[in-house]
Amino acid sequence: MTDYAIKTEDLTFWYTPEEGQEPKKVLEEVNIGIEKGRFTCILGHNGSGKSTLARHFNALNLPRGGAVYAFGMDTKDEALTLEIRRRLGMVFQNPDNQIVSNVVEEDVAFAPENLGIPQKEIRERVDEALRTVGMYEFRTHAPHLLSGGQKQRIAIAGVLAMRPECVVFDEATAMLDPRGRADVMDIIRRLRADGVTVVLITHHMDEAVSADRIIVMDKGRCVLAGTPRDIFSYPEELRSLGLTVPDTVKLINGLDKSGFNIRKDAITIPECAEAVAAAITDPVPVSHKEPEKETPSGEPVLSVQKLTYTYSKNTPFELTAVKDISFDVRRGEVIALLGHTGSGKSTLIQHLNGLIKPSSGKILLSGENINSSKDSLRRARSRVGLVFQYPEYQLFEETVYKDIAFGPKNQKLSDEEIDSRVRDAARFVGIGEELFEASPFELSGGQKRRIAIAGVIAMMPEVLILDEPMAGLDPAGRDEIMRNLLAYRDETGAALIIVTHSMEDAAMFATRMIVLSHGEKVMDGLPSEVFAREKELERIGLTVPAATKIARELINRGLPLGGTYYTVDYLMRSVLRLKGGDENAS
Amino acid sequence: MLRDITLGQYFPGDTLIHRLDPRTKILVVILYIIALFVSTSYITYGIMAAILIAEVAIARIKPSTLLKSVRPILFIIILTVVLNAFYTPGEPIFSVWIFTLTREGLRTALFMAARLILLVMSSFMLTYTTSPIMLTDGLESLLSPLKKLGAPVHELAMMMSIALRFIPTLIEETQKIMSAQKARGAEFDTGGIIDKAKALLPILVPLFISSFRRADELAVAMEARCYHGGEGRTKLHELRFKGIDYAALAIMALALAAVIVLRNVGAVGIGGIDS
Repeated sequence: MTDYAIKTEDLTFWYTPEEGQEPKKVLEEVNIGIEKGRFTCILGHNGSGKSTLARHFNALNLPRGGAVYAFGMDTKDEALTLEIRRRLGMVFQNPDNQIVSNVVEEDVAFAPENLGIPQKEIRERVDEALRTVGMYEFRTHAPHLLSGGQKQRIAIAGVLAMRPECVVFDEATAMLDPRGRADVMDIIRRLRADGVTVVLITHHMDEAVSADRIIVMDKGRCVLAGTPRDIFSYPEELRSLGLTVPDTVKLINGLDKSGFNIRKDAITIPECAEAVAAAITDPVPVSHKEPEKETPSGEPVLSVQKLTYTYSKNTPFELTAVKDISFDVRRGEVIALLGHTGSGKSTLIQHLNGLIKPSSGKILLSGENINSSKDSLRRARSRVGLVFQYPEYQLFEETVYKDIAFGPKNQKLSDEEIDSRVRDAARFVGIGEELFEASPFELSGGQKRRIAIAGVIAMMPEVLILDEPMAGLDPAGRDEIMRNLLAYRDETGAALIIVTHSMEDAAMFATRMIVLSHGEKVMDGLPSEVFAREKELERIGLTVPAATKIARELINRGLPLGGTYYTVDYLMRSVLRLKGGDENAS
Repeated sequence: MLRDITLGQYFPGDTLIHRLDPRTKILVVILYIIALFVSTSYITYGIMAAILIAEVAIARIKPSTLLKSVRPILFIIILTVVLNAFYTPGEPIFSVWIFTLTREGLRTALFMAARLILLVMSSFMLTYTTSPIMLTDGLESLLSPLKKLGAPVHELAMMMSIALRFIPTLIEETQKIMSAQKARGAEFDTGGIIDKAKALLPILVPLFISSFRRADELAVAMEARCYHGGEGRTKLHELRFKGIDYAALAIMALALAAVIVLRNVGAVGIGGIDS
């Protein structure tokens, strides 16, 4: 008999509906079992019920129908609640909203304190937990001064201090940069080695690859369950569920469809390279370079010249956030702005519409210094649109229409003009007019995000800057936002500057990439130029797309692939050429 | 503007003062404030100032930081000084128009200013050298006799420490929302009072909503970490009076006694010379 850490039996759940409304089932007859000591991933699009499911594991939510057993204990038994929560810890998405205390070690001590553990042992547990997550040196720091990734490690330590037998990570990597994510995945690996049961809820398919088992949720039901190999062999089903498969699987499936005789069970990068190499016996050298996207030329619309900004000048907290940065932005360009947390990206983009005034250097918009007068600043605010991270948190109006109209209203446009702007902006982000009178707060996360972006698009900016517009969305939501943005660019000729942590996204859309590290511009060029510098990227806390890594492994295995690859599509075509296959095979 | 808030700020350290039991520090500050209000002479104010200077030196807090703490009440201090200096009847030093500066007035003004400044600085020294957690722990422990009367002492202490924890987060969030709305062309510094009040809506609504969301998520996270009220809780830092705490309390009690004694001696002595 299998030993389960968590088992659900016909679990059904709904939130208490507002008066006069029918309850909407969030979970419906879910039957899953999570085996002890294994690493299980739960996938599903935004709103599929995966977080609600997780909250049943440790009695944060109680089933309306059916039952949930954690280590054999019925979660409905109130006398067992504390015991269940001690043995089954949970880490949440937003590190800020889990930290209770102003001092790191006090926060980590919170759970043991609640459990009434003797003081001496609390000390031991806190130190042990902080060492496990590599934050021991920070034990007396104030959490709000740490980076997102560090805060999340503190939150994890706070759970580990309970010495749980199972840890559930509820989208705990969603708000982190690549380094922060890698740190969390590293901790997960260590927990597994120690025999701790791990459950990870995520939108990142590459994280799911290392799981023992994957559970896929859709509309409150468990629709697929199996090993990563099983699950990822259903790419069409996953796509219809708003999910996707890892790039390795994409490549292998693509090759398979083109008549390649290839092993189909490879999912990690080395396995994938191995499978591809094994399928090619007599390679024809390929030296084609991955074709660059069309790079617009012409007069720069925005020009950043020797920009430097220092925070808290002449105080002990003095910090130069951006240092001597220069670059031009041309119409129609799509620039991916990359860099680790704290590399100066946010400071830089807030200069471009004059929210922050440079300590030295200047920003020219069509040749005019945006900080030269109040009027030029106002013009810059309309011509350079800036969408902050998690922009849905800035919605405030009663209706969707009014919220989108806020920007154009501030531009003092006529009512007819405002109306047409709102309709256009809504169309760009795929928000139907039937939603205009709805309250933005009633909509789904993805819709809110798109409405917030529409609020900036409605100002018709010539340069549209977005800080991680896809963060926290499921693969389908990410694709949709990206399509919306590119449509805006194509139709208006605007330039896009997109801050992102996802190298795969950058590889897909960017015509040019700018990389910051410690406030300095360290790279600026075509994607192929930037991705060719894998070692340097890794040194500054970034990485390269999976396709680049697979190509490198293939070259290491002696396959004559020239150049740098960064999209799966092109790598696939090149591999087909290697085999001497049809050049035009798709 | 928002960055200047130093209220409740803690400067971590490992000095003698930092290591004192928070209850000691709270009691010392209370005794110190009583002493300040009893104080009426140059000598007693001298003692009080000396105590503060010694504390600052031992705690290695930068004097400039401490001076900044007075800035928010600078206006009140100046007003008090001016009113006292010119409106205390007594021996005039000089007079301009309706204002007459008196010797007594000058003295009162000086003492009032000293009292206010020392009061603010000593309270700030408490927060500078005591982490908010220790502070609330100390308060909780000092007030715990009230639990028997049914007062929610633990709950209040928990609320206070959470509030302190979220002040920097909410300040950051406010700035971010302001920037985001500015990026949409909002202006916060133009127009009349009504315009300005209206302009706050795009900041306040998101701020409220996000605070509720944070509160909700925090509550869930706390429950997930087995929080179930104050019952049966232990502490990482158990409060325990040590020799140094008794010493500090004894010194402060002595200082208070000295102030009470010297207040008459000193006042008569100096007053005698003055008159």
